[in-house]
Amino acid sequence: MDILPQLILNSLIAGSIYAILALGFNLIFSTVNFFDLSYGAVAVIGAYAVFYFSKLLGWPLFVAVPLGVLISGTIGFLLYTSVYRRLRMRRSSNTVLLVASLGVLTALQALLAIFFSSQFQTLSATSSGERLFSLFSGSITETQVIILLTAVAVLLGLAFVLKLTLFGKAVKAVGDDEEVAKIVGINTDKIIGKVFFIGSAIAGLAAILVGFDTGIEPIMGLPLLLKGVIASIVGGIGNVYGGVAGAFLLGFVENFGIWKISGEWKDAIAFAVLILFLVFRPQGIFKK
Amino acid sequence: MEDNKPKILSWVILLAVIIVGGFFFARTAKAPEVAGPISLGVILPLTGDGAVYGEPALNVYQLAVDEINKSGGVGGRDLVLVVEDGKCNGKDGANAAQKLVNVDKVQIIIGGICSSESLAAVPIAEAGKVALFSPGASSPDLTGRSPYFFRDYPSDASQGRVLAELAYKKGWRTVAFIQESLDYPLGIFKAFDARFSELGGKTVKEEFPTGASDFRSSIAKLQSQKPDALFVDTQAPAASVRIAKQVKELKWNPPLLVADIVVGDPKTVSENKALFEGAFGAEFGVDPNNPKFQHLLESYKQKYNAELPYQAYGQTEYDALYLVKEGIAAVGLDGQKLAAWSRTIKDWDGASGQVTIEATGDRASGHVLKIVKDGKTELYTE
Repeated sequence: MDILPQLILNSLIAGSIYAILALGFNLIFSTVNFFDLSYGAVAVIGAYAVFYFSKLLGWPLFVAVPLGVLISGTIGFLLYTSVYRRLRMRRSSNTVLLVASLGVLTALQALLAIFFSSQFQTLSATSSGERLFSLFSGSITETQVIILLTAVAVLLGLAFVLKLTLFGKAVKAVGDDEEVAKIVGINTDKIIGKVFFIGSAIAGLAAILVGFDTGIEPIMGLPLLLKGVIASIVGGIGNVYGGVAGAFLLGFVENFGIWKISGEWKDAIAFAVLILFLVFRPQGIFKK
Repeated sequence: MEDNKPKILSWVILLAVIIVGGFFFARTAKAPEVAGPISLGVILPLTGDGAVYGEPALNVYQLAVDEINKSGGVGGRDLVLVVEDGKCNGKDGANAAQKLVNVDKVQIIIGGICSSESLAAVPIAEAGKVALFSPGASSPDLTGRSPYFFRDYPSDASQGRVLAELAYKKGWRTVAFIQESLDYPLGIFKAFDARFSELGGKTVKEEFPTGASDFRSSIAKLQSQKPDALFVDTQAPAASVRIAKQVKELKWNPPLLVADIVVGDPKTVSENKALFEGAFGAEFGVDPNNPKFQHLLESYKQKYNAELPYQAYGQTEYDALYLVKEGIAAVGLDGQKLAAWSRTIKDWDGASGQVTIEATGDRASGHVLKIVKDGKTELYTE
């Protein structure tokens, strides 16, 4: 059997997930310039919200999924207003913000474990019986097709908002220089709040898709975050589109790496790529 | 001189604190008690994927302890459990053992349920001259590990061996393994591989770290090597379900072999009927006609209002408490003596059948073949 088409498909699926994560992460980072580690937990909250509404309450997916995305966005926004804004107003250094967000990540994961147990859960209705599509000699599930399409849609949607709307221009201005943006009359606080909402909602979407594809558990936030961060750095930190290139590069390297060495070392491959980039091309594939 | 007064006073206070504190500590760190309840250390997983084994195990222990205490305890002394979470891994297993040996000063520890916990606890128990009695750890690496360690659950060497022999009989010559990087799944692989290559077969293996959820490329890689069967070898059923689902999604339908944690879990098997249909496993069986086993099932249901899950483990957990009771009655509450006594257990009648502990600390007797049919695990007869 020729394994190549399947490996390419696997890489694309993984790359799409990473791309969505990197888009949200980079959007927040390029605006506030600090590493928001709670991003991972905010993503997982969205997935658990869908789990709660659709699996425990039995609501239809077209209600549960948008609600999950909204909840992730709202939590992200609330975290900004209640934690990060205060710290930023106090002119805390980015290291302080990083540590604070690490605390938020840990606390939120613990809360999820308390309410939903640490056990692995799946969002899809049944453990089998999903529609399968064949492509060359590889196969792909319906969920995975949706993941690919969603990645494209989020990329296009975000590009549209950032390039063509006034809000997008304001986001860019805040990211370039917050003080100057304030002076020219931009309500930076409001803009950053919105950025947190949108970025977190995108994160929630990614985790929900992962939940349908494989499953969810409270501690999945950190690995999700790390993949998003690696993709962002490799692609060019702060460059919203660079993250997408980094994500697909990461997806391909990981899945083709397995071809030569055991799957046990997948994460090691991802971090090796990160270190290579940090040492030899710290600006990433694309500059900001 | 005047200025030195407060200084002297503070030194006196410090000295007083040390003396009083030392006295206090000397009183609390007393030698093993000769009256009052007998503390038994317990290590089992209460959080994480492994908690599915730990929670029912604790229920079974408590059930047995209540029964023993109700019938007069051991020489009039009640048994109490000091429970520590080993989280099914070596690091927390070692921490749990440290606390039980050095802080609680127990003479015998029942645990761990997971091989990783037990492997880590062995040297600590040995150093503290505390007997370590596992009713669930099945890694072949534990065989003959220490004179302080023994178990009434058989080694995986027997599980891997039985499945390797089945695989060879089925005409399979290459078996692919997808194995979690932990001691228990590794033990099954090692035993299978040893027997299978002895017979003339070959294994190919992909390992994955705990917590992984995307196995697609590993599965595709194994599939491209055209094995005759796939062995899904994980620590807990959740990971086996994830893998089996992705195998199906890649449109691959190899004959499946699974670890006893899958065939021994009615819930996993019935909820994932389509995934595991026809899968083979080897379980350390239960004898539904054994009156002690029937008693365990009934009392568990009565007390906890649920069916006893993982019955193969439940029976050895239940027996462990009764064995400990007998041991303490025979040689007293002393880790060293209990460990030596364990080697003399022969044809002891329990819920898990006749228990005999060999000189290596292993239980003599083994696993039987099972097959999943229509969402249920059945005895497999060739």
